Amino acid sequence: MGRMVQMGLGAELIYAFIIIISSLMIYFGTKELYELTKYKGIKYFREAFLLFAIAFFFRSFIKSIMILFGLSRPHDFQLLGIVSLFIFLYTITLAMFYLLYSIMWKKWRKSPKIIYLFHILAILIAILSLITGNITIILLVNILLLILILSITYIAHKNPRKKGQSIHLIYVLLSLFLILNVIDILIPNFLQLYQLMIYLLSIGIFLLIFYKVLKKSGSD
Amino acid sequence: MKKRSKFEIMKDILQTVQNNPDIKTTPLLRKSNLSTLRFKQYYEDLLKKELIKETENKGKFVNLTEKGFRFLDKYKTILNFIDEFDL
Repeated sequence: MGRMVQMGLGAELIYAFIIIISSLMIYFGTKELYELTKYKGIKYFREAFLLFAIAFFFRSFIKSIMILFGLSRPHDFQLLGIVSLFIFLYTITLAMFYLLYSIMWKKWRKSPKIIYLFHILAILIAILSLITGNITIILLVNILLLILILSITYIAHKNPRKKGQSIHLIYVLLSLFLILNVIDILIPNFLQLYQLMIYLLSIGIFLLIFYKVLKKSGSD
Repeated sequence: MKKRSKFEIMKDILQTVQNNPDIKTTPLLRKSNLSTLRFKQYYEDLLKKELIKETENKGKFVNLTEKGFRFLDKYKTILNFIDEFDL
């Protein structure tokens, strides 16, 4: 195994490990708060992070295989690669929708079935990104997803005096970096120059949320 | 008078039960400052969430469960958490 391959694999595994562990700790650290309250906002917030952990597990699996076998696209790894990629795309998109729902559920109280719509949308986005090898379509789908998340959050919380604006900024940055993670795996050469920066900033955002959860949930 | 939030009402009912062990439902309703219908909704919700329990002994008595005590213990943390993440 070449030195570059070893370094690439090492960086990928460390990156995935930090994101998976911090996501799982957010999920388990908020368990008691949810069990005591059965509060919908907490439910979808923690489930979003469980989905992030699953998504990054599959992401690291795909990336490791690609690095080890020198593949240019995950599709080249046949059925296992396609299934893993589908799970990654579905869970990461759904996680973003769950996070959105956790802050919006009070406003969408009258239409609880919206959560099913999110599942359908996540499946459609995953299939569309999977079957099309077209870079423009993949970028367009992800930019549209980001615009959708930004618009809903902005319209719902445009009152500047409202508390919680800083956390919305963190959520927006999180969505942005998750989408960059998706693009990074679907179009590997597209962001190669910025890969380390994307990794470091993604880790920074996850750790920031993890720190806030730890501080506010009173978990050990 | 400021309208109480759902969690505040839950906390008030639980605190009343904590301060009055083996309380009956009628005095609990009176102390909760809620209409009968609203009280019934909250009461059933607290039973469903296993924060209170009923015991039958020549009448129905209400007490806190272990979870109920934990809720009161964590009340401020719960509110802070929801507020911090705008949930």
